[in-house]
Amino acid sequence: MAPKTTAAAPAIKKAAAAKKAALKGTAAKVTRKVRTNTTFRIPKTLRLARTPKYPRRSVPRTPTLDAHAIIKFPLNTESAMKKIEEDNTLVFITDVRANKRQIKDAVQRLYDVSAVKVNTLIRPDGAKKAYVKLDADVEALEVANRIGFI
Amino acid sequence: ASVRAYELRTKSKAELAKDLEDLKTELASLRVKQHSSSSGNQQQQQQQSVPRITTVRKAIARVNTVISQVQRDQLRLFYKGAKYTPLDLRVKKTRAIRRRLTNFEKAQKTVKATKKERHFPQRKYAIKA
Repeated sequence: MAPKTTAAAPAIKKAAAAKKAALKGTAAKVTRKVRTNTTFRIPKTLRLARTPKYPRRSVPRTPTLDAHAIIKFPLNTESAMKKIEEDNTLVFITDVRANKRQIKDAVQRLYDVSAVKVNTLIRPDGAKKAYVKLDADVEALEVANRIGFI
Repeated sequence: ASVRAYELRTKSKAELAKDLEDLKTELASLRVKQHSSSSGNQQQQQQQSVPRITTVRKAIARVNTVISQVQRDQLRLFYKGAKYTPLDLRVKKTRAIRRRLTNFEKAQKTVKATKKERHFPQRKYAIKA
C-alpha cells in the first residue's frame, strides 16, 4: 500500500471527495436565493380539483320551484279580461320568488305559447301578479279558453 | 281514481314521473276553477269550493313519497358494504350518540388486564351445610 499511495494520492483524494458528495447529495450545498423585491408574494402551488370518496348528499336536490309551482292560477277579473281582449296578454298570479325569465319559461312549458314580454308587480296581499304579453301570432282569448277560465 | 301507495311502488321511475306531471296539471286546472270568479259573484274575491283539490294534493304527496322512498332504498343497497356512505344514509340518532364509543371499543382491554382475568378470576365458593 505504501509505495502506491504517493503516486495515486490526488486520484484517491478526488475519488474520496466524489464519494462524500454523492453520499451527501445536492442539498448539502445551500445557496441563498437573491431577492430583488422587498415584498414577499405567496408562491403559486398546485391546486387539485375535488375527487370525493363519497357524495355528501345521496341524491342532489330537485328544484322545488318548477313550472307548476311558479304559475299558481290565472286571473279573470274585469281588468284582466280587458288585457286579454285588447292587449293580447294573460294575467297570472305567480310565486313571489319567480322572476320574469322563469315566468316566461313556465308559460312556454305549461301552455305552449311564447311570450313577448312579462311585466310583474307584487300585490299588497303579498302575491306576485304577472302580465304576460303573448306573441302576435297567438290569440290570448283562444289560449284563455284552452286553459279553462273565461 | 284514488291513488294508492302500494300500487305506486310497482311502477317504474318514468311512470311515476309521468303520474306526477299528470297530477300537477290536474291540480293546476282545479286551481283555475277555484279562483275563477263567474261574472255573477257578489264578492269578487270569493273562492269556490273544489273538494277534489285536497285528494289531488295528497296524491301528489304520495307519489313524491314513493319516489323518494324507492330511490333511497335502492341507494342503500348500492352503498351496502361500502366504506363511506353519504351522510343522509347514515344513522341519524343524535349527535352525542354518534360520538360515543362503540360496543367493540368499550369492550377493549389491555393485554395485561386480559392475562390477569385469565389467571386470577374471581372464584366462587359454597359452604357445605
